[in-house]
Amino acid sequence: MAVNNNFKNDILFESKNGYSYQCDKTNSIIINFSGITSKYKVQDFLIFQRKVNSVDILDMLYDLSDKCDFKLIETTQKKFSRNLTICEIVQLRELLNGTKFALVLNSMLNEVLSDVAVSYLD
Amino acid sequence: MKDLLRRNTALNEGVEKLLNLQSKIECDASTKYLAMAAWLDRNGYVETAEYMYKQSEEEREHFLKVFKYITEMGGIAITPDVSKVQQEFESFRDVFEIALQNEITVTNAVNKVIAKCRLENDYATEEFMMWYVKEQREEEKNARRALELFDLIDEDSACGKFELDKQIAKIGV
Ligand SMILES: [Fe+2]
Ligand SMILES: [Fe+2]
Repeated sequence: MAVNNNFKNDILFESKNGYSYQCDKTNSIIINFSGITSKYKVQDFLIFQRKVNSVDILDMLYDLSDKCDFKLIETTQKKFSRNLTICEIVQLRELLNGTKFALVLNSMLNEVLSDVAVSYLD
Repeated sequence: MKDLLRRNTALNEGVEKLLNLQSKIECDASTKYLAMAAWLDRNGYVETAEYMYKQSEEEREHFLKVFKYITEMGGIAITPDVSKVQQEFESFRDVFEIALQNEITVTNAVNKVIAKCRLENDYATEEFMMWYVKEQREEEKNARRALELFDLIDEDSACGKFELDKQIAKIGV
């Protein structure tokens, strides 16, 4: 992962069902999930990720009524709004959690590489 | 590649979680005191009821203070759901027994946030939380004083309840 490679779109995560990248020009995160593209500020991305993670998959599995075959997943300003199956939710989870991991990793790298104090200590 | 996460917020996820919990605890405290105020009011303890209404408002301020801090730091503030609270109390004294226990629980929660801040090197939030440390010291002291007054003034003596109502309302002023 290139650090300080300004104004380029960096791929964050790729899966069978989609991919995500970061746009340094607009400070946003772009998610493409099964062909649908949506763009988020970091906070909105995090809210999206937490929301998808909070879906009770087991609850959906054990509920035999028809209404539980799908769950409506909506993000801020309805940038993403779709009824997803259990399987799709698991796939979306993988994509969002992978994206989050890449963001955290990049953050850690930045912290270490920009640690000015280290060079003064030698 | 820009560090979007860090540019967005200085709050560690774990600290943010605990701050949201603290905001919920303060919000609940406000509702609990409101229920106590209403109970006191309908049982004739008008002075103490006023004291509790004020406590309830203070807790709401404590809640807003954390709530706004989370947003100020770039975190995600979650509006707490209104919890069910105790509406009925066994006795006048029972109200204050519960109030003290509640304050102790809040103090413990405050300490937990600070312990987490130290673990994550979040000195800004630690400094912010110090205000709550001081506040809790005061609130626990007041809650203890109320119970102490029950020991000093015999509730069942003539005018006992009337006197207690007056004296408790004076705590902290
Ligand atoms: Fe408080
Ligand atoms: Fe309090």
